Amino acid sequence: MTQSAGVIALSPWQIGLAVLLIGLVVAVSARQALGLERDLLVGALRAVVQLYVVGLILGAVFASAQWYWVLLMLAVMTAVATQAAVSRLKQPIPGGHQIAAATLASSTALTLAYVLSIVVRVRPWYDPQYVIPLAGMILGNAMTSAALAGERLQAELRTRLGEVEARLTLGFSGREAVEPLVRSALRAAMIPTINGMATVGLVQLPGMMTGQILAGSSPRLAIEYQIVVVFMLAAATAMASLGFVRLAAGRYLTPAHQLRRYLL
Amino acid sequence: MTGAESATPAMPAPSGAIPPGMVLQVEGLSLAYPAQRGRPPVQILRNLSVDVRQGSSLTVVGPSGSGKSSFLRCLNRLEEPTSGLVRFDGRDIRSLDPRELRRRAALVPQSPVLFDGTVRDNLRAHPAAARMDLSETRLTRNLGEVGLDAALLDRDGATLSGGEKQRVTIARALLADPEALLLDEPTSALDPPNAALVIQTISRLRAARGLTIVVVTHQPELIRRLGGFLLYLVRGEREAYECLEASVAPVLTDARLEAFLAGAAPAAVTRR
Repeated sequence: MTQSAGVIALSPWQIGLAVLLIGLVVAVSARQALGLERDLLVGALRAVVQLYVVGLILGAVFASAQWYWVLLMLAVMTAVATQAAVSRLKQPIPGGHQIAAATLASSTALTLAYVLSIVVRVRPWYDPQYVIPLAGMILGNAMTSAALAGERLQAELRTRLGEVEARLTLGFSGREAVEPLVRSALRAAMIPTINGMATVGLVQLPGMMTGQILAGSSPRLAIEYQIVVVFMLAAATAMASLGFVRLAAGRYLTPAHQLRRYLL
Repeated sequence: MTGAESATPAMPAPSGAIPPGMVLQVEGLSLAYPAQRGRPPVQILRNLSVDVRQGSSLTVVGPSGSGKSSFLRCLNRLEEPTSGLVRFDGRDIRSLDPRELRRRAALVPQSPVLFDGTVRDNLRAHPAAARMDLSETRLTRNLGEVGLDAALLDRDGATLSGGEKQRVTIARALLADPEALLLDEPTSALDPPNAALVIQTISRLRAARGLTIVVVTHQPELIRRLGGFLLYLVRGEREAYECLEASVAPVLTDARLEAFLAGAAPAAVTRR
């Protein structure tokens, strides 16, 4: 166990000085005639407001330390992640929200349960200090991975339509006919995770580690947590993209082994 | 009914009694795509009725966009008709396992699709591969049936010419021993020499295997060699339905059909 050296508190004045950095970006946009000044200012303002609101909520949840508030927060996070994942798809999938919600919730729950109870052994299991950040990381990565896999599946269905129907006409089932495309979509979703694992720590320190070290944790402890996180995310993203793609592919097929072309 | 005065095709028998030798019976087939994402509903096929006798052929002609491909796709249930009935070998196709139906009524699409790998890999791509005889001997014989050499087996599918790809696709379909062959414009993507080869292949196969053939085509030569029945589809409706004697100069009784085949644009169609 390591002691946390005190973290330097930030006064609003100090934060204000950081905001000047945005001023620099706005100046660049103006100088280069990019026309992004308004978007930058709106984005910066949204970031500040959203973070403050989240900070307030987190503060309240941490203070209460009740399991139902934690669960409620997880539910809201899952709902937001579901919407974000589904909105990335170029064409809507019937039942897309349900599929995304189910796969994100289950992959997050399974991974989180394993890490909290078996790896880190958090007591109580709903300690917000651990549950919220870990769940947030899992959901964020799972959501991106599932959306990536879903997008890729749709793209493949569009370009390899002839191939899918060729298999159907040979008498393959709907599932067998889309199998190569499902595989391709899963590979597309998992390769970034694998690449990430291979290069972690070499190019930049991962955000979580950075935060932990800044908060006073020893680098060794931060690294140990990071290892856990890296593997946790690999498992969660694999489960989320697998579940999402398999269920999504099923929506494109009818019980009579036909492809619903109008969905593409 | 159309104005065809030549041999009118036999009317479909009342349900229950299967007329001998009728492989395909289409009754009142309609296909419509519902309104979708701002697009209005589209009627593809309207109340089509045709019959195809076992071992004979049905040639489908008509202007682009008449629903000819959709008609074929309804026969092997790649598309689900909105209404009407298709019977294969006397049974409603909805009562058959679609996978089995597609094996027995093999569809060859307009653009040949070969999977990654060699010609051998392609020929072996069947769901029931484990239970089929896909030995070198059989594959060689099978390629021979479509006029291709066994040396092609090791070739990568992507390196074949259009005509070779088309014939490999036909060969692949034949390996499942289908009773019917449904071909969608088998020669449209081919140059004349390859087109001639494919036409030869199709008519030879029909004779050799007693296959029932349904083919969508513009090729007069193929129409002539196959004979059988000719279905003229315009905007999803049966404009004419004639029986051709496989002869040098088939005599058509429907003036519009004759004009169409001679190259005239379809005249304004009177709605029945």
